[in-house]
Amino acid sequence: MSRTVRLAVRQAVLEQRSFWRSTEYALFTFAFPLMILLLIGAANVGSHLPGTHIKNTTVFVPGILAFSVIVAAYVNLGSKVAVLRHDGVLKRIRTTPLPAGAYLGGLLASTVVTATLITACIGLIGWLAFGAGPRTGELLALAGGLVLGTVCFAALGLAISSVITSAESAGPVAYASFLPIAIISGVFDPTFSGLPAWLSRVVAIFPVKALAELLQNSYAVRPFPAWDLVNLALWTAAGGAFAVWRFRWHS
Amino acid sequence: MTDTRVTFERPPAPAPAADGTAVHVRGLRMSFGGTEVLHGLNFEVRCGEVFCLLGPNGAGKTTTLEILEGFRVPSGGRVRVLGLDPAAQPARLRERAGIVLQECGFPRRVRVAELIDLWRSYYPNPRPLGELLDVVELAEARNTQVRRLSGGQRRRLDFALALSGDPELIFLDEPTTGFDPEARRRCWAAIENLRGFGKTILLTTHYLDEAERLADRIAILRAGRIELVGTTHEVAVRGGLATRISFTTPSALRRGHIPPPDGIDLTISGPESVCHTAHVAMTLRLLLAWATEHRLGDLDGLAVTAPRLEDTYLQLTSGDPG
Repeated sequence: MSRTVRLAVRQAVLEQRSFWRSTEYALFTFAFPLMILLLIGAANVGSHLPGTHIKNTTVFVPGILAFSVIVAAYVNLGSKVAVLRHDGVLKRIRTTPLPAGAYLGGLLASTVVTATLITACIGLIGWLAFGAGPRTGELLALAGGLVLGTVCFAALGLAISSVITSAESAGPVAYASFLPIAIISGVFDPTFSGLPAWLSRVVAIFPVKALAELLQNSYAVRPFPAWDLVNLALWTAAGGAFAVWRFRWHS
Repeated sequence: MTDTRVTFERPPAPAPAADGTAVHVRGLRMSFGGTEVLHGLNFEVRCGEVFCLLGPNGAGKTTTLEILEGFRVPSGGRVRVLGLDPAAQPARLRERAGIVLQECGFPRRVRVAELIDLWRSYYPNPRPLGELLDVVELAEARNTQVRRLSGGQRRRLDFALALSGDPELIFLDEPTTGFDPEARRRCWAAIENLRGFGKTILLTTHYLDEAERLADRIAILRAGRIELVGTTHEVAVRGGLATRISFTTPSALRRGHIPPPDGIDLTISGPESVCHTAHVAMTLRLLLAWATEHRLGDLDGLAVTAPRLEDTYLQLTSGDPG
């Protein structure tokens, strides 16, 4: 067991090293959510949610936290595994006695590190720029929500990696499969409304809004989102099951 | 550049099986969707030898190798690799056997030494990093990112990774396919370095010169059957080809002043006389006795040419596609 953990850590360290070596890729992964945070956040300063005293930014910042978790866990991990499979790296791993758990554990650990860095960055800058921070005593709940979101979207990332058929399409497929849902989930616009009822129900099915609401609850008082927890748990299970079922070592 | 042979002090690995057999294959059959592609292969690879599966594309070389590596379960027959059943114990086998696939990629943005070091961590008794870099002549590229390596360098990095766990047996699937002559030559040098470690090597190729240069023994695989197994010379002889004996036609013979030798099927083609025989010594004795009898001396230009692997191979595979 300890050997598996040691090997997973080694793998994670090398993954992080090569992630940061690809400067433009790493910067873009961080810059995209940061740009959205600062640009759209600036447009929301001073506004309140209609009919309440809740500042727009206290809902918007945790929404971008959810967005950056999805970028780190779903987009990055999903496209990464698709590229590894397409390049034949997974095939090569299978020629060694490295336990599959150690390899995937290393990839996941590296994903957790990236997600932690990016959410810390967003949280800190959101607080400094807009004064939007988690409610007192809610830091632990926020951390829990981030962990749950990372696990859920990492499982979905592994699942989508099996659907992606080429290295070139990995990034576009990963982004295109969640950005539209993120937009109609109101992640980028706290006052977003006016969806037809049926579309609202569709949005409620997906885990994007669920994660955003869970994190928003740590920033602003909102009804406790029990359904969001169930939603994320179900998507985690479904994504994990699909990933295991469809996992291939070669393309 | 010259071939470099690297020698190290470590003694050769101990023989894994009591009978000195690294790979044992009996009646190996493989079918894909009702089509049989391997029709009962039999061969052994002895410990410490370089064994080559030689055959045209589509003969079943890679399929055979994938079964021996534990990636495919055979439809029939018995396979033992280092005493293990590869399909049942793939993890144990991969601790003791290095595998170089025909084609597989490297992670992007990692450096040569980093990657070899990572691979070393997968094995209980890895070889030292510096030694691995030397064997495959990549010491100068140790800090180069893998994506900047040439095709030949990447192949040699493949070798280093396969060797990093100090395996007893190494599988090489078409190690130089598609390389230019210089890259091939350096790959060959690396493979000869591996042999210097006393490793058993099982390689496939469709290049004759590669088999001839590297292999101790060769099996010619054609359309899912092994046609011949043996040393380069044995394969050529068993292919039914005779040794060629030739000499400069003496003028007396050409002018018909003397009779041709008895019991020898001599062809006089202008300046050269040629005969083919399976009994070299006897034929030579007869020829020289005949020459002495007719005062022809030691026969100018006398040459004995062993049958070549190429002749056997071309004879066996003629008419095959690819």
